[in-house]
Amino acid sequence: MEKKETFAEVFEARGVKRRDFLKFCSLMSVYLGLAPTMVPRIVSAMEKKPRIPVIWLHGLECTCCSESFIRSSHPIVADIVLNMISLDYDDTLSAAAGFQLEEIRKKIMKEYKGKFILAVEGNVPLKDNGVYCTINGESFLDVLKETAADAMAVIAWGSCASFGCVQSARPNPTGATPVHKIIKNKPVVNVPGCPPIAEVMTGVITHFLTFGKLPDLDRLKRPKTFYGVRIHDKCERRPYFDAGMFVESFDDDGARKGWCLYKMGCKGPTTYNACSSIKWNEGVSFPIGSGHPCLGCSEPDFWDNGPFYTRRADVSFVGVNSNADKIGVVAVGAAAAGMAAHAIGTAIKKGTSESKTVETEED
Amino acid sequence: MARIIEEQYVWRLPVRIYHWINALSIAVLFVTGIYMAFPIISPPVGEAVWYHRMAWVRYIHFGTAFIFIANFLFRLYWALFGNDRYGRFGGFKPWLPAWWGQPFKEQLASYLFLKKEEPDYCGHNPVAALTHFLFVFLGSWFMILTGLAMYGENNPGGFLDTMFGWVVLLFGSSLTMHTMHHLVAWVFPVYLILHLYAVVRHDIVNRSSITSSIITGYKNRVEECAEYAD
Repeated sequence: MEKKETFAEVFEARGVKRRDFLKFCSLMSVYLGLAPTMVPRIVSAMEKKPRIPVIWLHGLECTCCSESFIRSSHPIVADIVLNMISLDYDDTLSAAAGFQLEEIRKKIMKEYKGKFILAVEGNVPLKDNGVYCTINGESFLDVLKETAADAMAVIAWGSCASFGCVQSARPNPTGATPVHKIIKNKPVVNVPGCPPIAEVMTGVITHFLTFGKLPDLDRLKRPKTFYGVRIHDKCERRPYFDAGMFVESFDDDGARKGWCLYKMGCKGPTTYNACSSIKWNEGVSFPIGSGHPCLGCSEPDFWDNGPFYTRRADVSFVGVNSNADKIGVVAVGAAAAGMAAHAIGTAIKKGTSESKTVETEED
Repeated sequence: MARIIEEQYVWRLPVRIYHWINALSIAVLFVTGIYMAFPIISPPVGEAVWYHRMAWVRYIHFGTAFIFIANFLFRLYWALFGNDRYGRFGGFKPWLPAWWGQPFKEQLASYLFLKKEEPDYCGHNPVAALTHFLFVFLGSWFMILTGLAMYGENNPGGFLDTMFGWVVLLFGSSLTMHTMHHLVAWVFPVYLILHLYAVVRHDIVNRSSITSSIITGYKNRVEECAEYAD
């Protein structure tokens, strides 16, 4: 078993200057919300600790998480970011293929038993014994369970692995199930987003390397550091929301002036992610910054909470085109009609009973 | 024509105060809540920092919500421990099969025109008690729990999030919880229609001056007055 290189060694071999390396470390400390005094600890971990071996499995997914990950912007050279981790198995990126690649997975599982990270992109179809996703003749369910058994921790990349995403949207024909509902006996961290922000992905791994454990997680097993703030509460368009200045259609004056996208169906008020702080593509922009409402891609069931471009969502158990107000108005109408009918009934009842009384008096 | 036999003091002052604070706060909460989901007033002219239109509507909604909650908790205390014959939970025991017995069946049959007699209760009749339990009691709990969970969402790890954040998990996602909070809000206008109709109807049928009783506290006893409470 050869000794794993450290991050610093890899960076050096790739010709990254020490200055850039230190910049990367300080940036990571900022993203992770650590005090400046923690930077030396990150540097030291990067220099001394061997890189963590990572097995990266792909289930039912579209590979957008990988696409996002290989575009991490810091340090600038993209292939170095890929070397952040010792990515020993990734069936999308590896040169090896077929049995050769599966051999590598088995080898890592044996050599680094209990010491490697299992990164999972995509989720697991459970219906019909998992036939809807097979790798090398094995169902993805079996591959995942087998690999997770020897892993130190599991990182669920993206909304698919974390919450199910589009595959598990109603009616979920393949029984797509997120990772944390299958792997119960290992620490699982969810890094949702469709895809997650590259810096969030590198940040989670940096935290793991520096402190040797997963970051603090919230109720949905997301790292608090990156998923602790609502998009809405850090949104640059928030003053327009508070003032009541809303975009009414994508080609109106308000849209041109950059007003709030709340009425265009923005899910910022219910979405936890780092988009409004870290942003995308080297901090260039994020959906709301570019004039598009947030779709809430990092929230559970976001495909079922449509439509995307209306604030008032469909009420899932009633069906499409059924927002709360439509149902409410019908219910109020029905109550009013019912009471009116009852009032007529009461009048008739009173009339008949009174006429009866009159009759008896006559008798 | 029924004859007023006596005036009965039914709704004590705490109950009447609760009723009107509750009615007003629900009205304010409903109107501001619907507006928050669908802000229709056209935007103000000028810089955004000069205006707080949406912020004010939300502020009123949240402020009223806390009045509503305090009032609800007070009523809960009064219902459990208050020295009040008609304002207590007292006889309301729907988990006992006996509670669904004769008085409930007779009242329901009367409402459904299956029975000629119109029972006249001093306090709530069993069907009314059940309706209040479903709409006002459960409806309020639902709105309070989901509301506080939403209110805590801006500060994960804070007091409200720690106390009520688990509610979000029951709905799967925050947006679903928002949608359900919005949907269940409509329970109150539906209830209002049933409530106002039933009150006016009883006033006409039983001539018990039930409408004014929530202001004066007194109901008129006309002829025989069946007892339901305890």
